[in-house]
Amino acid sequence: METNILYRHKDLVEKSKSGDRNSQYQLYELYVDAMYNVSMRILGTKEDAEDIVQDSFVEAFKNLKSFRYESTFGSWLKRIVINKSINHLKIKKIAIIPFEYQEYNISEDSNDYDEEINTSIQNRDIYKIKKGIKCLPDGYRQIINLYLIEGYDHIEIAEILGISISTSKSQYHRAKKKLIEIVNTL
Amino acid sequence: MDDFEKYIKENRYLFDEHRADKSKIWDNIESGLNSPKPIILWRSPVLRVAASILILVGAFSIINLFFNSTFNHKSNNNIVNQELRDIDTYYKDLVAFQVQLVKNNSKLQEEEKEEFLSFMDELDEEYNSLKLEMTKNLNNEYILEAIVNNYKKRIELIENLLKQINDSKKSNENEGYIL
Repeated sequence: METNILYRHKDLVEKSKSGDRNSQYQLYELYVDAMYNVSMRILGTKEDAEDIVQDSFVEAFKNLKSFRYESTFGSWLKRIVINKSINHLKIKKIAIIPFEYQEYNISEDSNDYDEEINTSIQNRDIYKIKKGIKCLPDGYRQIINLYLIEGYDHIEIAEILGISISTSKSQYHRAKKKLIEIVNTL
Repeated sequence: MDDFEKYIKENRYLFDEHRADKSKIWDNIESGLNSPKPIILWRSPVLRVAASILILVGAFSIINLFFNSTFNHKSNNNIVNQELRDIDTYYKDLVAFQVQLVKNNSKLQEEEKEEFLSFMDELDEEYNSLKLEMTKNLNNEYILEAIVNNYKKRIELIENLLKQINDSKKSNENEGYIL
């Protein structure tokens, strides 16, 4: 079953490897919206996200020969998009993880963690959560996005952001706490 | 995983709220794919390092050459050339003036004049060959000395000739006086 998933769109990928423009376009159509959303969640601006998606597809098609079905084509491509987006942020000199400032803020309120979660469960509303994520500081937003929405584990997040696994875990918990706080006020 | 996380993960697809401008992005991708792939000449890191060193050494030697030719060479050469030119014109003028004197001297016989001028021509030839040698090898002191000696010889020659003329003049005058 797992092998089947890995070889998803194998025909299109193989034809694209040999430079078939039609197959490349079909792959593009299948993934462009998802990739655009991934990049939008990280970068937040339409123009930047478009540039990154475009560069990522060009790079993916040019380096398709190195794709050996160790993951699905989608996750391979998504990793390219995420790396490019994060690098773009770094170039724009936006701090990816602004630790200290948020740490102080959070340590000030001593509310019980579990209590917060319980209240938030009653407030399950995707619209509010989306809004809450947008209100998060950049660093927290990245880690929430990568963990909850893009579905990466802490090992992968550590690799993507260039931080340690334990930092990834602690930052994620702080970010989640902050998110719940925000959602509850909405 | 708590319920909050579970809830978000289950509804992940709802976070894809944007729609990409497909045709615009594809146009750019297509043009990006059509552009020729850059040829990577130095794949091996060793070769890359070697190439960088080669470029550095090359650049250094070119700069060195440039500085040598412009500053050192130019300033040195200018001084030497100027000095040389001054000496050259000084002697040339002197020789030309004296040759003219000899030529115009009515008291000298044609034979004497011719002998003298042929000797001067010989020295001229020697001078020209020395000058040629000079352009090939500027720093050669021997050649410089030889050129100066060449001029000195001419002057000596002319002076001797003029002395002879004056001497004969004197003796003539004396004779007249005695007479």
